[in-house]
Amino acid sequence: MSTPIENPFAAKERGGRRRESIVRWMLRAGSFLIVFAVTAVVLHIGYCGAPAILRSEWPFVNTRYFSELPSTLHVIESTNGMRIETGAEDAGAVKQRLGHSFSSETTISYAGGGILGPLVGTALLVLVSVGVAMLLGVSCAVYLSEYAKEGRFMEAVRLAILNLAGVPSVVYGLFGLGAFVLTAPRFVTVPSEHSVLAIPLGFTTLSFEGWDTCVLSGGFTLAFVILPVIITASEQCLRAVPNGFRETSAALGATRWQTIRRCVLPFAAPGILTSSILGIARAAGETAPIMFTAALAFKDKLPWQKELTALPADASIFAHWEQSVQRFLGIFTESVQALPYHIYTLATKIPQNEYSERAQYGAVLVSLILVAVLSAFSIWLRIRLRKKYQW
Amino acid sequence: MVTTTPSSNGVHHTSPAVQVIGLDFCYDANRVLQDIHLAVPSQRITALIGPSGCGKSTLLRCMNRMNDRFTGARVTRGEVRVKGKNIQDPDVDLTQLRKQVGMVFQKPNPFPKSIYENVAYGLRIHGEKNKGDLDDAVEQALRRAALWDELKDRLHTAALALSSGQQQRLCIARTIVTQPEVLLMDEPCSALDPIATLRIEELMHQLSSHCTIIIVTHNMQQAARVSDHTAFLRRGRLIEFAPTSDIFTRPQEKPTEAYLRGTFV
Repeated sequence: MSTPIENPFAAKERGGRRRESIVRWMLRAGSFLIVFAVTAVVLHIGYCGAPAILRSEWPFVNTRYFSELPSTLHVIESTNGMRIETGAEDAGAVKQRLGHSFSSETTISYAGGGILGPLVGTALLVLVSVGVAMLLGVSCAVYLSEYAKEGRFMEAVRLAILNLAGVPSVVYGLFGLGAFVLTAPRFVTVPSEHSVLAIPLGFTTLSFEGWDTCVLSGGFTLAFVILPVIITASEQCLRAVPNGFRETSAALGATRWQTIRRCVLPFAAPGILTSSILGIARAAGETAPIMFTAALAFKDKLPWQKELTALPADASIFAHWEQSVQRFLGIFTESVQALPYHIYTLATKIPQNEYSERAQYGAVLVSLILVAVLSAFSIWLRIRLRKKYQW
Repeated sequence: MVTTTPSSNGVHHTSPAVQVIGLDFCYDANRVLQDIHLAVPSQRITALIGPSGCGKSTLLRCMNRMNDRFTGARVTRGEVRVKGKNIQDPDVDLTQLRKQVGMVFQKPNPFPKSIYENVAYGLRIHGEKNKGDLDDAVEQALRRAALWDELKDRLHTAALALSSGQQQRLCIARTIVTQPEVLLMDEPCSALDPIATLRIEELMHQLSSHCTIIIVTHNMQQAARVSDHTAFLRRGRLIEFAPTSDIFTRPQEKPTEAYLRGTFV
């Protein structure tokens, strides 16, 4: 048995190991806290929102919640404490049936019916905003990555995009109000009195009198909100396309635009698509930008339910076609309800009680599911397309 | 016209396919090519050799104006004539120039499309739409690139699934589909294994019956194997240009000899 030797690797100062483990646990706690917070939020919303959208019997989903417009909820209480929830049209009948056992009636605005109106409105807003933002954003990204030369101008553009991303969303709302609702140009026969500038063009007048609060105004405003996301992500996707493709294409005699169209954009498309879906999620969730530009707290009609003058019986097929086009275009010049604004209304504009809370959490849950589904779809798309285009 | 062609001892009689006359080339203030005179003989293989950074790739890229893509890169003096025309002239259309002066790059880089679409690309950008003509041209290009027999049954599968040697031959097929008269190759075999390299070299021999090939290579054995003429560049200057057999057996210039012996400093 040899004599124990002195440890040549002994720590110089004591407590080093403990400090190490304290730091590790602090960092770990921080990470866990985030996971815990997200889980808590999702569970809370799921728990509170489920009663609004789920049913205990087949088909387990409250289909009326998705197929009806929001309406006023009537809660009728009988003397024996029974509560009956009903819409405005059946309230009288219920009261009659209860007869003298009727005790009280409470009405809660917006909390009855479903959320079809807000869903449709959000879908339309997203459609317009993503369309506009993709057109502008992808053009800008292509220019930045393929044409622009590094320099002062590029720095200015980048700074502008960065600033755009940092602007609070309510500022976008006010910008949209000023730019689109009140001053955007439109063709009219007689300019309105609040028109900023009217340019007569002979057959019509181009009047800067705004588009009013409508899907178009809201969609354009939202487009500017998601523009920085789309530009930045698209530019990254374009830059990720190997330069060899561009060189080869140029060496084969392709012009710059041919190269972009055939050898850059198609390979960057998956990433651009993914970023646009994230843009959708963002646009679907914004409240402030649409508050002044498109959304109404309540509307009893869907955007296409509009009274148009009935055509005479012998109207030509052209007249019918024209009216259909008019009806379709009319959708975009209507103001709508939107999901985030509906939630805002339910949470702040009406007295809080269990019924309004249920409707509110139901809408929140639907909105959360919508965003989750879109994100999942974008991830799936990315994985799929990345497999297809590997270089 | 002043044309100094060092030791152009009667190997070629036809007019040169590419003629470089007193060329100076700069990246910003940095002169990378200086007073290059070179007459590349038609329908022959010419190798450009030299140490790294000697300007051989830049010289090659001057011949189809690929350097235009870099900001600050420009010809400051002299001319590059292809088929007798100075390609720096403002009336030269890059599309037409590059259609006739094709280029193959170092890394095999087929597009992530099908084999067929890769080869057809050059024709499509020049506006060819007729399906029958496209099919014929693609087949012919693949045959000339010695790929047809291997790939004819899977023309519509992904080009990226091919081996790197096949990919490089596909890139050659993609380039020759427009029937260029000059083919520029920038170290086409440096990313390939010896067998694949050999096949590319065989291919170059076959192609040289139709077109002029100019190849940049690091590999001196390759230059000796494939080329008819060799140009040796060093520090942006053309040191020596002669038939390959001469340059490898009795180089006239000291630096060439030193480089070929491997004692280059």
